[in-house]
Amino acid sequence: MAETSRDRLVRMLGMVAYLESHGATPVAVLAEHFGVSQAKVTQELWTLGMSGVPPYLPDEYLDFDFDALDEGLAVLRDAQGVTQVRLSGQEAVALTGALATLIAAGTAPEGAVDLLERIRVAFGGAAPVTVLPGGDTVDPALRDTLAGAITRGHAVRADYVDAQDHRTERVIEPHRLVAIDGIGYVECWCRKAQGYRTLRLSRFADAEELADAATQPASAEHGFSLEPQYNATVTMRRSARWAFEDIAGVAVEDDGDSATATFGVSDTGWAAARLLTVAPHLLRVEPVTLREELARHAGAVIAAQGD
Amino acid sequence: MSETSAEQRRLNLMIALSATRHRLTREQIRDRVEGYDAVPAGATAQERQRADASFQRMFERDKDELRRMGIPLRTITDPTHQNDLGYRIDGDMAMPELDLSLQDAAVLALAVEYWSGRSMAADARQGYAKLISSVAHGQGPRLPYGGMSTTVGVEATATLSEAITERQSVRFEYASASSDTRVRTVQPWTIVMRAGLEYLVGWDVDAEDSRVFRLGRILGTVRLVGEPEAFERPATVSLGSLADEAEVSTAVVAVRPEAGHAVRRRGRPAGARDGWELFEVDYRHADVLRSEVLSMNGAARIVSPESLATSVIEHARAALEVARG
Repeated sequence: MAETSRDRLVRMLGMVAYLESHGATPVAVLAEHFGVSQAKVTQELWTLGMSGVPPYLPDEYLDFDFDALDEGLAVLRDAQGVTQVRLSGQEAVALTGALATLIAAGTAPEGAVDLLERIRVAFGGAAPVTVLPGGDTVDPALRDTLAGAITRGHAVRADYVDAQDHRTERVIEPHRLVAIDGIGYVECWCRKAQGYRTLRLSRFADAEELADAATQPASAEHGFSLEPQYNATVTMRRSARWAFEDIAGVAVEDDGDSATATFGVSDTGWAAARLLTVAPHLLRVEPVTLREELARHAGAVIAAQGD
Repeated sequence: MSETSAEQRRLNLMIALSATRHRLTREQIRDRVEGYDAVPAGATAQERQRADASFQRMFERDKDELRRMGIPLRTITDPTHQNDLGYRIDGDMAMPELDLSLQDAAVLALAVEYWSGRSMAADARQGYAKLISSVAHGQGPRLPYGGMSTTVGVEATATLSEAITERQSVRFEYASASSDTRVRTVQPWTIVMRAGLEYLVGWDVDAEDSRVFRLGRILGTVRLVGEPEAFERPATVSLGSLADEAEVSTAVVAVRPEAGHAVRRRGRPAGARDGWELFEVDYRHADVLRSEVLSMNGAARIVSPESLATSVIEHARAALEVARG
């Protein structure tokens, strides 16, 4: 991710705030804390030291002990009132929105609720985002069971309803609780399937921590990164364009009356279901694999709804 | 002074505008703040014009950048000379003391990860950097948690949160679920997120009423229109249909035995008929429930209301037609 000028200014203000709170600090510590090289820290402290209040009289610059800086120690003498600035609206939306989403999904670590509240108060309680709980309710006891098992490295016996709607008992080794689009999941090793799985928390009917130690390490690949198998090209009336704009990696061309979306498909069934939801606005679907799947889904819906 | 970096120039501008008692005009900023080129002595009219234009561009960008950082940079109009604009940073812009721990920082890092690859990523990253500035350095815990967003945090989210903060109107094309697609002009009040759906609540200028918009139904780009600070946000924003229980309808959904567990979990049992098990399900958006039933590959059907059942059939028939080419 390319570093922007704003990233650099935020970091420079951050170093001033750090030195104000913690006093003289080795450059090496600042470098680690802010995730940059020591040379970068030294250069940015020099830049700060050349900034000040017009008309820039000698005592109107930010002042550091530059002899100490040469020895690798950052000492702030006068900040001229400069310090880190409060969160912007967008920053507050991003951080409080994500925290509240993790909490609502039942996948927030301990302390998240309290942290969210403190940030909200600090922002004046006016962060322009509200997070409402979704329909996917997760029992807090389930979250605690899984979180406890993860911490202790134990397996869990789970009563789970899978994606094909089969209710099964299985033993899993949970690794991570994740929220994807506001829905809570657990990434785990499933002993029954002998593979890594991402299971939806709301589909757990019951879970019980076992004394049994986990045997498999967490997958390096997150369970939710799926490889596309082929590209689909769908032309629709323009008014249905919105239904395609949130698909990862989609390209949409718009000619005014109609729009054409091209996107990678990793799960044909998922793509067919998505197409069904805006079917009256569709004009053309490629390739034939996707058309066949769409026809199968539509046939099943008509058979069910019609009887 | 052309070797001054953009961040140093902006830092100087921030310091100068915080220190001024009254305000600084553009000319004063150009003359006094380090990093801006003064008008070259003995310049020709053309050179002067070019230097002026480049200063204006640079200053506009610096001003926007500081505002984007959350710095309350105000435009002050001289009461006697209305055209003579000045600038000042008003009020307390310092980050309050939050006394965050390393555990807190690790939790915040999850919030940053949530937006990874989305348009909110840069804002999340900068907000995180601001909040952890004063956290004592140390090794934080590795938390077995994570998250990602694939549907929320679209381009519109970033533009709208900026507009909400700046109190600036927005214009966008919107495909309403209940009426036709048209351009809306809105005074944005707040963003609402709920389980993978994002909404905007605001004042629809043409409808002269407050409205709820689904961000996913916005076509193309959201544009800022008019000036910042153009309207007052109500002290308490009513979430309209989002919070209004009266807007919740109830459908009866039939699911096959051992199927439709999402419906079972949130529905109320309503008997069984012809090999189907019936559940009463509350819903806010007919199209969302319809999409859910359509996605279940025949393992569910709508029993009532009739209009929703008809709409499911219509969608499936339309899909068959397009699938046959």
